[in-house]
Amino acid sequence: MDTLSLAKNMLTAATGAAKGHARDLENYLRARVKLIADGTAAIAADRLKGKITEEDAKFAFDEIRESEKTAVLAIEATSLAAAQDAINAALAVAAQALSTAAGIAVP
Amino acid sequence: MGSNPEHLPRARSCQLSGDPPTPPLVTALLSTFARRPGTLLAFLFGLLLAGCSVLLIAPYDATTDRLLTDLTVLTETVVVKADNDQLSVVEQEKFYAEAEGTVNAMKMRAGLYAKNEPEIAALDELGKRYHALHERHASPRTSLTTGLRATLLDVQQIQVAKKRSSVFSSSLNKTSTSQ
Repeated sequence: MDTLSLAKNMLTAATGAAKGHARDLENYLRARVKLIADGTAAIAADRLKGKITEEDAKFAFDEIRESEKTAVLAIEATSLAAAQDAINAALAVAAQALSTAAGIAVP
Repeated sequence: MGSNPEHLPRARSCQLSGDPPTPPLVTALLSTFARRPGTLLAFLFGLLLAGCSVLLIAPYDATTDRLLTDLTVLTETVVVKADNDQLSVVEQEKFYAEAEGTVNAMKMRAGLYAKNEPEIAALDELGKRYHALHERHASPRTSLTTGLRATLLDVQQIQVAKKRSSVFSSSLNKTSTSQ
């Protein structure tokens, strides 16, 4: 068995599996930044129009700050899913190689 | 892919080490594998011989995703009404009660799965965002709900990641069964 070639194929499969998650993460972060930018502008506009009080504006911004905790959780979950797919993709390539080289059927 | 939990994890799963596996563990593994490709091969062949696939995060749950989509639509609709001063106090209170109830139901469901800590923690935070607005009797205007809507987006991203993983696992299973 050519282990160097196998390792290369496994790494290619792993990288390919993680790429989709990376694209999703980029789209998500872009959408999140836009949402917060629009929301901050809305806080300023509502305050100027007298629709909300100064205390309301402080509350709204504190809530935005609090929401950063869940942004970290979303990134953590995406990283875990990407790592899982990458490892399983590499495993699938290795299973195929093992099956071809030694005739061992891997479940 | 169905919504029943029993339909989701198709491969047998096993833990790499410790309980639960953490991102630092993944980082350490990837770093070791990058320095010593032989370790990666030995590790993966060990897993292969054990007939394992790796499960680092709970599987995608279509019911949770649907509840979240419904909650997002409800929230965005109410925000538009509030922005246009068309939301009565009664409707506002009903919205907060319904939203908090939905989040509680989602938390209960999320607790049924192993390796679902990030989603459970995110739902806890989502509940806090609704509760803070409810307690304040705040009008759910765009200006006051940005933190809440950002948190909704975060929970949606968790569903997107899980769904991508679920589709990927299915394609791997199809490939392996067709060979």
